[in-house]
Amino acid sequence: MRLHQMKQLTFVAVLALGLVAGASAQAGIASRAVRTDIGGIDVIIVRTDVKDVVTVTGSLRAGDDRSPEDNVALATVTGAMLDKGTTKQDKFALAQQLGNVGASLSFSVGASTLQLSGKCLRKDLPLLATLLAEQLREPAFPETELAKLKKQLDGAMKSQLEDTDFRAEDAYTRVVYPKGHPNWQPTPEQFITAVDRTTIAEVRQFHSQYYGPAGMRLVIVGDVDPAAVQAELRRAFAGWSGGSVPPAATLAPALTGARQDVVFMPDKTSVSVIMGQPTQLRYSDPDSLALRVATRIFGSGFTGRLMSNVRDKEGLTYGIGAYVGNDTFSDGDWRIDASFAPALLDKGLASTKRQLALWRDQGVTAEELARAKTRTAGSYRVGLATTSGLAGTILMALDSGMPLAFVDEYPQRIDALTLEQVNGAIRKHIDPARMVLVEAGTVPGGTAATK
Amino acid sequence: MKHTLATICAALACAAFPPGAHADTAPATVPVTAPGYKYVRTVGAISEYTLESNGLTVLLMPEHSAPVVTFMVTYRVGSRNEVTGTTGATHLLEHLMFKGSPMYNDAKGNSVKQYLETVGGMYNATTWLDRTNYYAQVERDALEGYMAIEADRMRKLWLHDEDRRREMTVVRNEYELGENDPQQALDVQINAAAFVAHPYHHSTIGWRSDIENVPIEKLRAFYDTFYWPDNATVSVIGDFEPAAALALVKKHYGVYPRSPQPIPQVYTVEPEQQGARRVTLKRAGEIGVVGIAWKSPSGRDADYAALGVLGTILGSGKTSRFYRALTDKNLALNVSASAGFFHDPSLFNVYASVAPGVEHSEVERVLLEEIERVKKDGVTDQEVATALAKYEASTAYGRDGSFAIASNLNETIAAGDWTLYYTLDDATRNVTAADVKRVANAYFDADRSTTGWFIPLPATAPDAESAPAAK
Repeated sequence: MRLHQMKQLTFVAVLALGLVAGASAQAGIASRAVRTDIGGIDVIIVRTDVKDVVTVTGSLRAGDDRSPEDNVALATVTGAMLDKGTTKQDKFALAQQLGNVGASLSFSVGASTLQLSGKCLRKDLPLLATLLAEQLREPAFPETELAKLKKQLDGAMKSQLEDTDFRAEDAYTRVVYPKGHPNWQPTPEQFITAVDRTTIAEVRQFHSQYYGPAGMRLVIVGDVDPAAVQAELRRAFAGWSGGSVPPAATLAPALTGARQDVVFMPDKTSVSVIMGQPTQLRYSDPDSLALRVATRIFGSGFTGRLMSNVRDKEGLTYGIGAYVGNDTFSDGDWRIDASFAPALLDKGLASTKRQLALWRDQGVTAEELARAKTRTAGSYRVGLATTSGLAGTILMALDSGMPLAFVDEYPQRIDALTLEQVNGAIRKHIDPARMVLVEAGTVPGGTAATK
Repeated sequence: MKHTLATICAALACAAFPPGAHADTAPATVPVTAPGYKYVRTVGAISEYTLESNGLTVLLMPEHSAPVVTFMVTYRVGSRNEVTGTTGATHLLEHLMFKGSPMYNDAKGNSVKQYLETVGGMYNATTWLDRTNYYAQVERDALEGYMAIEADRMRKLWLHDEDRRREMTVVRNEYELGENDPQQALDVQINAAAFVAHPYHHSTIGWRSDIENVPIEKLRAFYDTFYWPDNATVSVIGDFEPAAALALVKKHYGVYPRSPQPIPQVYTVEPEQQGARRVTLKRAGEIGVVGIAWKSPSGRDADYAALGVLGTILGSGKTSRFYRALTDKNLALNVSASAGFFHDPSLFNVYASVAPGVEHSEVERVLLEEIERVKKDGVTDQEVATALAKYEASTAYGRDGSFAIASNLNETIAAGDWTLYYTLDDATRNVTAADVKRVANAYFDADRSTTGWFIPLPATAPDAESAPAAK
């Protein structure tokens, strides 16, 4: 849900590789992975050489897009109640069991999924599996906890309202995506109003309707014995049923023209900027990789065109990058994220737009594409280093509708892209004349009205 | 590149354990003999060598779980080495370290960022109170290429004023991003009040006017004072062979002599604080913050381990005392507690985001009640056991990849003793409930505390609501 999914502008984000940031290209991951259907759950287990550590990640199709129109917060509230106690134990007992072994288990609700995240030592995986199943299957949903949660969500939202990145993203999503699209978000006021009037009965109904093995995926990576893990999961999830996969969303339409929105926030020393448009592409669409590589050349890393020019040559920002995203379960968007001092905002935007026009009109060069390919291959192998990087990559690939083999084939698919494909994707899918520009912060002369 | 406010925030928000605490479960590494090196010691899986010609410290930790290696150089210079007029200079210099040298630069197409992005390396640099580090995680075949550039910029950096002018606004925007965040802004104010003499008084990013005006000559002097082999530690972690790595380090770093002058040491000692201090920060905002900081010992102090356990008991997760007393009662949105892990005595920080409709004074009162309860009644054996279990697990998680190891090792180098990467484990495992009660009474002294409130003011500008309208 919105309180968790907003991306911060960080250096790491600038270097992100899109779908497979931190991914692993270890030879034969697909052949080493053990994939099984366990009671309807798609389970992928990969043993690595790390000692003791196990990372668990997963998704379940109970995201914000399943919230009913008259309660836009229901998926988020339901997900947030999972760790508030089960029919077997209260939240403190749950936390104590995890704490006793230093394990972690958390849930967060995004646009299309409930996301599961856990970490533990090898010896404690049976406990983690037990608690994961217990919290998903048998949440108690106590009234007292809902009352507390409402206040926590209200405060958390107020805290987010202080964040210029959040405010820019919040406004951006409602311009780029129409109501009813999975990536559309309600206003903070709509969200809090919905939270306030959510009842336990609604939560129970939502849980009953959407939680279940159908559409659920678990990826477990690290120091594991796959057969033993499978046995634990079969035990923990035996007899569970339900869940579903929602129908594909209708594509977000292209914007009809350029627009500029200002979210004025007093006393802020830096303005957050997002400039972008819907792509009408899912990750699995044919042009997706080409557009990603083109965008990486434009806006990823310190050698990307945006950082090289807007930051390095002109000194106008600490961070600027371009991304394709939000396209795992539906069509997504293309955007530039940046921060500028209020006094440098106009210069920064002018420089950014110059670079955008150059990239859009002239495309990338063969040399840039060649460098992007070697970089991708190298960073892919560097991603071998962590269990969380590998687990996240597998989950994202499969959730995007790609086959498991894609995790191994990714560098080759990138390497096979031609200059024509990459520049063609830019011309076909990017249109600066139909982008929205959102500025959030103490914008000079700004009000909430159009600038 | 970035300084470490983000790291500070992570520490504030998460566990109270120090960044450099890890288990001694890895097999000991057999030291190698290499020409030009003095073998110093092996602790855990890390062996220390000194390059005899110039005093460079080299730490090697072979770890073959993946075909990658992390190379890092840590300079023992941070914002504690700055004085009025040069605050933020360490960090600004760190940025300028990416501007090239006669040998490696953008025009030649072989600058550090061009090289590392071509080979797909994960890289960055960070500055904090006691140190500056530069690192990359690369495929093993790219190690020498990166090491050559990293070694080159130790002594051959260009340092052009034109680059400083352009980078100043970049760094100033980084400062502005930090000031956007109420808790970060309050943290700056609390540190400035808590330390009146010691340079921990000012934040790593520095004061805005210093960022804007520090001349290139002072940055050059800073570089020429601190960027020498005998003020640096290089760490190699991952898939490499020790003898070959030592040879590479010697090849690229052995070309430099020791510093011609002794590296200046910080001799300022913070005077004893003799009374509670308070600061208030008022700005437009939504959520209040209460911060309380007590003077705490160096990361090398024998009491540090018990303070780490205490921080976990107070502020880590739903089992913590602050969660039960504040978050679960809707008095705070979140509460964190942690002891600073630094070279010199620093602060044990507690931060709470005040829930809407709750008074700052109420949150502060409950925080202090909990502190007094620990001082009077101590903690339970179960609480200590849970904290130690979290510690043991975090130790294993911290070995998940060579970069995770390097980043933790980096902070122990900065604290002044890299062996803390292992020895702090033993100290922590031996912490008892009695130790926790003792350190609570020793350090949670109101007269040695600084309390800060961030008070959000209602918006006064035209409209703080987002009601974007199309043009």
